[in-house]
Amino acid sequence: MKSPFNKLALPTRAVAFAAAAVLAVSACSAGSSTSSGSSPGGDQSLSIGLVAEPASLDFTTTDGAAIPQALLGNVYESLVKQDDSGKIVPSLAKSWTVSPDRKTYTFDLVDNAKFTNDKPFTASDAVFSINRVKSAWTISLKGAMDVVAGAKALSPTQLEVTLSKPSNDWLFRMTTRIGAMFSESGVAKLATDPIGTGPYKFSKWNRGDSIVLERNDGYWGTKPFFHQITLKYFKDPTALNNALLTGTINVIGTVQAPEALSQFTSNDKYQVIEGTTNGEVLLSFNNSRPIFKDIRTRQAIRMAIDHKALLDTCFAGRGKLIGSMVPPTDPWYEDLTSIAPYDLAKAKSMLQASGAAGKTLLLRLPTLPYATSCGQVVKSQLEQAGLKVRIDPQEFPAAWLNTVFKNADYDMSIIAHVEPRDLGAVFNAKYYTRYDDPTLQQYLAAADSGDEAAQVDNMKKAARRLSEQAAGDWLFLLPNLIVADKNIKGLPQNAITENFDLSKLAR
Amino acid sequence: MRRLNPSLVAGGVIVGIIVLMALVSFIWTPYDATFVDPSIRLAKPSWEHWFGTDKFGRDVLSQIMVGSRTTLFVGVVAVGVAAVIGVPLGILAAMVRRWPSEFIMRANDLVLAFPALLLAIMFGAVFGASTLTAMIAIGIASVPSFARVIRSGALQVMRTEYVLAARAAGRQPWPIAVRHVLPNVTSLITVQASVSFAIAVLAEAALSFLGFGTPPPTPSWGRMLQESQEFLFSAPRLAIFPGVAIAIAVLGFNLLGDGLRDRFDPKLEDRR
Repeated sequence: MKSPFNKLALPTRAVAFAAAAVLAVSACSAGSSTSSGSSPGGDQSLSIGLVAEPASLDFTTTDGAAIPQALLGNVYESLVKQDDSGKIVPSLAKSWTVSPDRKTYTFDLVDNAKFTNDKPFTASDAVFSINRVKSAWTISLKGAMDVVAGAKALSPTQLEVTLSKPSNDWLFRMTTRIGAMFSESGVAKLATDPIGTGPYKFSKWNRGDSIVLERNDGYWGTKPFFHQITLKYFKDPTALNNALLTGTINVIGTVQAPEALSQFTSNDKYQVIEGTTNGEVLLSFNNSRPIFKDIRTRQAIRMAIDHKALLDTCFAGRGKLIGSMVPPTDPWYEDLTSIAPYDLAKAKSMLQASGAAGKTLLLRLPTLPYATSCGQVVKSQLEQAGLKVRIDPQEFPAAWLNTVFKNADYDMSIIAHVEPRDLGAVFNAKYYTRYDDPTLQQYLAAADSGDEAAQVDNMKKAARRLSEQAAGDWLFLLPNLIVADKNIKGLPQNAITENFDLSKLAR
Repeated sequence: MRRLNPSLVAGGVIVGIIVLMALVSFIWTPYDATFVDPSIRLAKPSWEHWFGTDKFGRDVLSQIMVGSRTTLFVGVVAVGVAAVIGVPLGILAAMVRRWPSEFIMRANDLVLAFPALLLAIMFGAVFGASTLTAMIAIGIASVPSFARVIRSGALQVMRTEYVLAARAAGRQPWPIAVRHVLPNVTSLITVQASVSFAIAVLAEAALSFLGFGTPPPTPSWGRMLQESQEFLFSAPRLAIFPGVAIAIAVLGFNLLGDGLRDRFDPKLEDRR
């Protein structure tokens, strides 16, 4: 059989070969639709739109969910991580055993992981990272590592961690930012140059605009699809939606203008994912303020708010009413919305009885779309019950973190707490809620030290206690609302961890 | 007898209506402009709610009425700031020797070269978004236009015979500025104030739209526009009503400015 090329004259053949060669080369360099190198995605890139930009890249000294959202699991890895169902599964630790007294954990580590500064990951790095939480971290969540009595490297790939008492919580906390593994030679510039073992490495941070991550070609595990992922930050929710419509981004990581969702659901070019999150939108009370010392005032505020109407108004009815600080994906979830049902008349009389009626409360709102919307509803509803509310917008994150979170200079605020299993972290005397309740601490301690059944039982009691004591008001649980180009795969149905896992994304 | 100036009349009527609406809103609005009623959210215009309700169930007409207060307040203060700084600077630049005058006017050029909205956004970022920072920023950005216009008017006055006579009689510059120059540039100040007012209205709306102006829940036309973005397709009226209000207000103040200019400058009117 004759080749079709035989029919072509020599110069024509030469031109055809040259054209084919040019096409092949240009396809490799453009990278928008072909594969090359060791990853299926070649040099394809992706852009994801998010709302809150980090104030720093160092989550060891700066609070806020935006930093682990971008870096954890992508740039940094931990010994263990959560899978999509919330189960703890191996990461840098291949396996682990727990001693019969539940105080000693022995981890077998992978032997081929290395940091992006080319240093190999060993058990010594794990010891360094665990000890560093106690010695150098300053964020409020560092307390989760207090239970560790000691950590030692048994070999380069074997780590032993001893706890001062049995703890159900500790291994779970190791899936969060607390468990991130650092290189001893890679912590000098954490705020601007994070170094980890993850599937992506930090490339650049255009402040006020975007963070760029690049595929870590030396990654020890399955290499991610995309060569480059840009996390682009938008303050305005409509601008975020428009960015997807105009092709500036490929994914809206968290939809903040749900009223406009219909423009995507009715368009075949996009996919809409709706699931659940850990993000409890909390109307926080500064419990150290005299007005909140009286439980009747706190309960009255909860009863003065029509949560269903609030959810409909400020988040288009998407999300879930929860009634306490536990999302439905946690094993100890109970629907506690009936503890403080909407009852305006009762709220009015309770405020009269407590003497709070007519008093003015300062509602300091972060400049986040959901907080701004919900704040206006809360103000209007509380004023119907007899309180006066003054709204004071605080630029987020810097001003809000400093004024409300750090200095607790506020009466009420609204923010979504997206950290997993954060009930104990949020409601204690040192946190910005300034909630000091020994009974709650007893429940939490019993949950941490008991067996699995005792943990569930005591966490349920803790959640109920919070709700009955009206330590705050849980407005609703944020939904996981993602909109993306139709051909993007691997987007999470639920957002139940601190990070946005970029390693599973593909096209 | 002078012909009736249509710009002046139209501008006066529009501005008069806006001022009246703002005054009435102090004592009466159809509903509480900040009262949230989720049960009637996004209601279409009806006899109960002439302009419908927004996503919070707030009456749009009431918000437009109360929003006019914000608009006028920002305009008055911003123009006040610009006039208080710009008029003396303009007169001073006309009366002093060459190099101090040059210095004042080049400094003016420097401020003029800086985009007004950017200046206001910077103020908002540094001092926090509020009506006050918006007013001051807009006012400062309007200073150069006042100074330039007043300087040119003052230079003409300085060449008049009565000023020359006053100077020959040994009068000090300060009394000359107050007694002779200022009264003769009042018409210029009025015209410039009206034009700057229109610019201030637009700037406040833009700043509120961008989140650097009047914070919620105080009604503001610019923020109403911003909040309506989500509903551009499902409830476009939420953008139309504040948008039209802003357009009419700007048109009104511009027409008033044009009319006043024609009124104070008969030669200009005759050329038409």
